[in-house]
Amino acid sequence: MTPFWAVVKKELGSVLRDRTIIIAILIQLFIASFSSALLLGMLSMYDSDTIMKFGGAQIKIGMVGAVDNPLTLFVTQRGLQVVPFDTLANAETAFFQGAVNAIVVIPPNVRDTAEIKLYLPDSEAVSSLIRMVIQEPLKQYENYLRTQNGIEVRYTDLKGKPSISFEFIYSVLIPMLMFFPAFVAGSMSIDSITEEVENNTLQTLLSAPLTINGMIGAKIVAAVALSALQCAAWLALLQLNGIAIQHTTWILLLAVIVAGITSTSAALGAVLLKDRERSQFIYSLILLAGAAISTLLDVSPIKTLSRLAIGDHYTSGWDVAVFAVFLAALYFLLLKTSRRLMV
Amino acid sequence: MLFFTRSNFLVVGDCVVGKVTLLAMTWMRAQNPMKQILVIAWREVTRLRKRFGGGASPIAVVLLLVVLGLSAFALRDTVSLGSGLYRVGVSGDVPAIQDSRFSVVAVDLYQGKTLLEQQSIDVLIDGAQVISRADDRSQYAVKALKQYMEKQELVRIGSSFPQDAAFPLRVGINYLKPDQASGEAGAGGEAPIAKPEEIIIPSLTPPPAPFTQVLVALLYIMPITFISIFFTSSFMDEKINRRLTILLSAPVTPFQIILGKMLPYAIFALATTALIAVLTGGNVPLALAIFAPTTLFIFAIYLLVPLFYRTFKDTTFIAMLVTTLTTAYLVFPAMFTNTSDLAYISPLTLAVKMYRNEPFGWREYLFPSLPMSAIFGFAMFAGTRLLNEEFLMGYRPITRKIIDAIYLIMAHVQPYLSVPLWSLFVIPSVYMVQVVLLAFATNLPLGMILGVMLITSAFVEEVVKSVGIVALAEHGKVTSVRDVLVLSFLSGLGFLVGEKILLLLSLSIVSQAPVSGALFGAGVFLLIPLVAHFVFTAIVTLLKTKLKVPYLLALIVGTVAHFIYNWYLMRGGL
Repeated sequence: MTPFWAVVKKELGSVLRDRTIIIAILIQLFIASFSSALLLGMLSMYDSDTIMKFGGAQIKIGMVGAVDNPLTLFVTQRGLQVVPFDTLANAETAFFQGAVNAIVVIPPNVRDTAEIKLYLPDSEAVSSLIRMVIQEPLKQYENYLRTQNGIEVRYTDLKGKPSISFEFIYSVLIPMLMFFPAFVAGSMSIDSITEEVENNTLQTLLSAPLTINGMIGAKIVAAVALSALQCAAWLALLQLNGIAIQHTTWILLLAVIVAGITSTSAALGAVLLKDRERSQFIYSLILLAGAAISTLLDVSPIKTLSRLAIGDHYTSGWDVAVFAVFLAALYFLLLKTSRRLMV
Repeated sequence: MLFFTRSNFLVVGDCVVGKVTLLAMTWMRAQNPMKQILVIAWREVTRLRKRFGGGASPIAVVLLLVVLGLSAFALRDTVSLGSGLYRVGVSGDVPAIQDSRFSVVAVDLYQGKTLLEQQSIDVLIDGAQVISRADDRSQYAVKALKQYMEKQELVRIGSSFPQDAAFPLRVGINYLKPDQASGEAGAGGEAPIAKPEEIIIPSLTPPPAPFTQVLVALLYIMPITFISIFFTSSFMDEKINRRLTILLSAPVTPFQIILGKMLPYAIFALATTALIAVLTGGNVPLALAIFAPTTLFIFAIYLLVPLFYRTFKDTTFIAMLVTTLTTAYLVFPAMFTNTSDLAYISPLTLAVKMYRNEPFGWREYLFPSLPMSAIFGFAMFAGTRLLNEEFLMGYRPITRKIIDAIYLIMAHVQPYLSVPLWSLFVIPSVYMVQVVLLAFATNLPLGMILGVMLITSAFVEEVVKSVGIVALAEHGKVTSVRDVLVLSFLSGLGFLVGEKILLLLSLSIVSQAPVSGALFGAGVFLLIPLVAHFVFTAIVTLLKTKLKVPYLLALIVGTVAHFIYNWYLMRGGL
């Protein structure tokens, strides 16, 4: 057993000494903060609820025509300020003086169909913001007109809470932080295996009392151990940040199993192709395809992880076991083919 | 035993390649430079063909590409944010729920209510009625359900009622130009309309958000990033096999080697760009014009990565870092197309505009393209200086290597010229680094972001301005205090000029007249920053070169001074 652990120690040591692991952690930190920033930014630009929360109440809409029209009510309900006008010319004067931000013109005698006009400023930034917030009242008005036409629209009274942040955290952020280390582990396995081949050090290494399976196994163990460490750190950090995560033990186990799967398939590629260039290329392709296929098959590790994290009633350790079986099969395949590395 | 024959074969193969290369080189001696570049390009193609030629790998690649294409096609509609997060109980007459976010459980009403209370399901739909709990998870599910049901109802209404009754509202959108407001608007009664009227049906026309177009624009970047694996590997291969030595001893310049190696990949990148433009219905010449600088920029970065690498793992991690940073840099601004003028930092914004048939001008084109092309030019120049055996083969700490690289880049001309030019040309990189730092800083509490940004920007600027002088001093090119002072001044000057050019360019886009007036109004205002830049750089360089203070410590002193100055300036002190 000693040479096996010596190789594990050497691999871990080289990663820590070369400070490459710092780069890997930096990447994850960057992806996490970048995607959160992206989400925050997009919410403040494209989500009408968020716009209304931050300064949307200052938007003033000039309404020309029937003041008793239901649209006026819908716009007020949305939290926008309504300023009534008699004629379009008056409204335009107010618009150019900066008293209102946009003008809505409703023709008189609307019964069941309507053609209204919306006047927006020529600045794209402002006009798209107004279109964002006025969308909901316009849709409500459309539904009102439909009712006038005798068409019943169901499920219009649903409210709920804005769910984008929730969906982002559990279906993007946590899976990404848990699985990115696995992706890195695969790349690392390829590098450490092909490096021995391309630098002609494989024979020397095997002259120690160590089989080829032992050597590859040690490199995989080192890569997986490293990713387990990162995942545990991310889980702790996320919880420190006040994000509730259920079933942490199962999640960690799932992350380790997935790291095992990526490293084993990466090692398989390295054994068959024997050089870094092709192995890395094929590995990244397989990873993309694997992720796509698993999503289609409804046994995706991402979905399982999200469900474990929110504490889904129907998801348990058995869903994790499926991936363990897959890993075992893959590792068996690797044991059978590993001799080809020496040919 | 078998291993040895294989390696013998490889050695023989290597010798053959070496001889062929030498033969090609002697032939090249008589040819013009263009031909030499083509020979190297052809050699690169041959290398790739040998790598992937024969055996199963080309088939595997094709197969994988097919799988990828298929899955991308299948995923296009099904995958969304929040896949698999909600459990929905359904009883009675409810439209089929086919959305990756919801997992449906068929229940009867009583059973459903029990499950809802046990928190086994998040929301229960009973016919037209939706039952939920008061907690967050259930309310999130309701909101998600609302978005989905709204769409489903539109489909139902659209197919079962006449068009006019189903979609009774038309909204004509007009844009008013504020410029001509003063006279005509009131008098004529007719509004000055900026664009032709756009008629929408609210429920069918979501407000413009560029997500899909950004994704399409990202399609252009993916093959370029993929192909750069090979471009990077090409240099590593040469290094490991020591063939670069032969190549460098031949009568070709490093510039020709780099250009030759880049040529096949550049052609591939341009061809895929054109292909994607055709497939997605874009404007081919315009797409080429937009993505050519981006391609060059990505190649520039992947040219520098292998030059600094020490081990395989280094290269993998650095390449990963670079890929994430560039992707973020390209995607992030483009998400805000039309909501902020700063979106023009990224060329993807131009692509989004192209897909929307919206025009953009020369200035908008140059704003992202110029810095990217400048970085490419700089990287090419650096590459030609660094492509020598001693630098490539040396195994030294990465910080040491970077200092050596900077020395090599600067050493060929007089320091009085190279130092200010260095400060001037690294400005686009500094600017990109600061954008990346800003993304990091958004993680911090709101009150700290400004302070942290000021400190890190000051640090980056001080590094950039002083590192050239320090590198020259370490190699004995700069010795006297007078030289250090003069060079610090020139470095500050170069930096200031670059900074102002960039500012001018960005202000002409963002067009905030009062700001530009304040910045360029009086000549005195340029003098003070110049003195400030000089003083901080002089502090750092003198501490390092004359007082032998460790570089990091010297930098910290300079950064603190710079930070205090910036802070004072921000508080309205000047």
